[in-house]
Amino acid sequence: MEPAVLETENLVKVYGRGANRFDALKGLTLDIKRGESVAVIGKSGSGKSTLMHLMALLDRPSQGVVALNGRPVSELKNKEIHKLRNESFGFVFQQFFLNPNQTVLENVVLPLKIAGLSKRERNRRGLEALELLEMADKAKNKATDLSGGQKQRACIARALVTNPSVIFADEPTGNLDSKTSEVVENILFGLQRDRGITLVIVTHDDDLAAKCDRQIYLKDGLIVAPEQSNTARSEAASSGEPAPSGQEATEPWAGGGSTASRASELGKEGNR
Amino acid sequence: MKAVDVVTTALGNTMRSKARTFLTVIAIFIGAFTLTLTSGLGVGINSYIDRLVQGFGDQQQLYVQKTSSQQSGNANEPQAYDPEKGADKQGQFGMSLLSEKDIEQIGNIDGVESVEPVVAVSPSYLEGENGDQFQVQLGYPSDVNSYEYAAGEAPGHDKDEITIPTTWADSLGYDKPEDAVGGKVKIAVSNVTGEEKTFEATISGVTEIMLSNQGAQPTPSSAFNDRLYDYQQEGLPEGAQTDGYAMAVADVPDLGKQSEVKKSLTEDGMLGMTVEDQIGTIRGIINAVTWILNGFALIALLAAAFGIVNTLLMSVQERTREIGLMKALGMSPGKIFGLFSSEAVLIGLLGSVIGVGVGVVVGTVANALLTGEGGALSNVAGLSLYGIAPLQLVGIVLLIMLIAFIAGTLPAARAARKDPIEALRYE
Ligand SMILES: Nc1ncnc2c1ncn2[C@@H]1O[C@H](COP(=O)(O)OP(=O)(O)O)[C@@H](O)[C@H]1O
Ligand SMILES: [Mg+2]
Repeated sequence: MEPAVLETENLVKVYGRGANRFDALKGLTLDIKRGESVAVIGKSGSGKSTLMHLMALLDRPSQGVVALNGRPVSELKNKEIHKLRNESFGFVFQQFFLNPNQTVLENVVLPLKIAGLSKRERNRRGLEALELLEMADKAKNKATDLSGGQKQRACIARALVTNPSVIFADEPTGNLDSKTSEVVENILFGLQRDRGITLVIVTHDDDLAAKCDRQIYLKDGLIVAPEQSNTARSEAASSGEPAPSGQEATEPWAGGGSTASRASELGKEGNR
Repeated sequence: MKAVDVVTTALGNTMRSKARTFLTVIAIFIGAFTLTLTSGLGVGINSYIDRLVQGFGDQQQLYVQKTSSQQSGNANEPQAYDPEKGADKQGQFGMSLLSEKDIEQIGNIDGVESVEPVVAVSPSYLEGENGDQFQVQLGYPSDVNSYEYAAGEAPGHDKDEITIPTTWADSLGYDKPEDAVGGKVKIAVSNVTGEEKTFEATISGVTEIMLSNQGAQPTPSSAFNDRLYDYQQEGLPEGAQTDGYAMAVADVPDLGKQSEVKKSLTEDGMLGMTVEDQIGTIRGIINAVTWILNGFALIALLAAAFGIVNTLLMSVQERTREIGLMKALGMSPGKIFGLFSSEAVLIGLLGSVIGVGVGVVVGTVANALLTGEGGALSNVAGLSLYGIAPLQLVGIVLLIMLIAFIAGTLPAARAARKDPIEALRYE
């Protein structure tokens, strides 16, 4: 059995105080093994992003422990945390956050620039990452010249360029149509398979969640059994595969119809 | 991020919104330009004064005058006569004169090596070896050591020697200044009874005429000057021999003792001033005016600094996402701070270098137009209204970069504090 790369114990996150107090996470204990792909799934507002931010060391928990490779991160200095995020983690967001004034290559090598690598080394590794995603011919283009799918591939190249051990993806396909989503999903799972990269994918897309090795269902800041998480695929959106839990639930936002229409709904949700 | 990457990234960012950067740079430019002109004006005028007073006596010489013994109050009112004290000896312009006793007293002050009263000899004419006679006014013997010599040297203190200006060498029939050295001149002086007598002196040196007019008159050694003076006063009744002296020159070789000597002089009712003391007052006024003008330039720079604050705050606001991403990708708050303060410093550098450059060109051209041939001030010989002091210019650029850095700290700190999660939140 692989050792856990990420563990959390009784993770609590409270926003605000007094009357505005909001408990976003109410005590989560979980572990993620090296090389595994885990989907964090739940309704909007259930605390998925909050959990990811804590595991990715972008935020500190109100209570509880996050441990990386068995070592609690509260022991780490700020400087070590910055270095860890830079070297060991890759990030893919629903929105691309590409700098429109820079070329694709410049965008991709940003983490290496932050790490302080020489320009030659940066460009070499940047092109390598772009080649892997079949984007090498777009290296010199401005980031704005790309289609949505190409943009997300550039973002994955950026997440990949430091050769991280974990990639965090928050709604990576939220802004993409279903066909492009599939391309991006295949790339991510290919990275897991070929390079042993651990994937933590935050989503409310059951199709994507189903492709992961394991699913963690969140509801109101707690881990719940699949049947309790109102997020299961609607019958109408079913593409034939059984839902992870096999249970049936209705999607509150889905107007029914095709996968494509649901994808566009998802896009709206993400853009809200 | 490496320092060089921080700077190049900052440069790229400032070039991103060109219009905004341009306007901010203009504000800095105006301040830098004004400061370059005002401080250059100070440099120019000070260097003019330097040239003007060049050679006005040695540093070690103290010019001593009697302070007026009149009571302060209305100087036009008649003063009561006190038979004990006798009348104050006064010169032409109502100045009190130094008596022989005063001269003696000066000589006794610790630190004073020698003291010479400045006596005015009015010769009838000066005659050269070729027999030509010229009207002449003699220079002060105390100045001879500060002259610049085209040929020869200063006259020996106790020899019958004299210096002549370069222009006189020509009139006295010498082809070159060198030829004049060793030549003879005769100086005619009349005594009280109107009897004229000539005295012969050897030309010891030929002096350059300086901008300050120093060296423009034939100047005798002090011994020769005394001989002429003694004859000029001959025939005056005993006791009335000297009216007193308008001024005396005291030699104080030990510069450290000068202030003590000055103090003793003040106690004895006299005033001693070095050349520096005399110029110092003028310089003080010029420096004060320069600083007032510089003050206006600094006010312009202060306004420009707020321009930088404003520009960068807008930039930080616009680039919230970018900052959040960089922080998420492991950039430390310190480096984010460095990135934005580099932008501020770059804006300062750009504005100040252009401002200083244009300021130097405009100052130099304006100076040439005003004081050069055909200019409004061309008749003031040697006047310069603008001077370039390279260190000062470098100082201006550094000062503005410092101001820009300080202005940049507020936006930069705001950027450094940004929370990556807040910054990356989907809206
Ligand atoms: N900075 C914050 N201040 C207050 N409440 C917050 C903050 N961030 C998130 N929340 C709240 O915490 C809950 C969980 O948010 P989030 O983790 O983003 O949900 P999800 O990603 O599952 O949609 C939401 O109700 C959200 O409004
Ligand atoms: Mg979310």
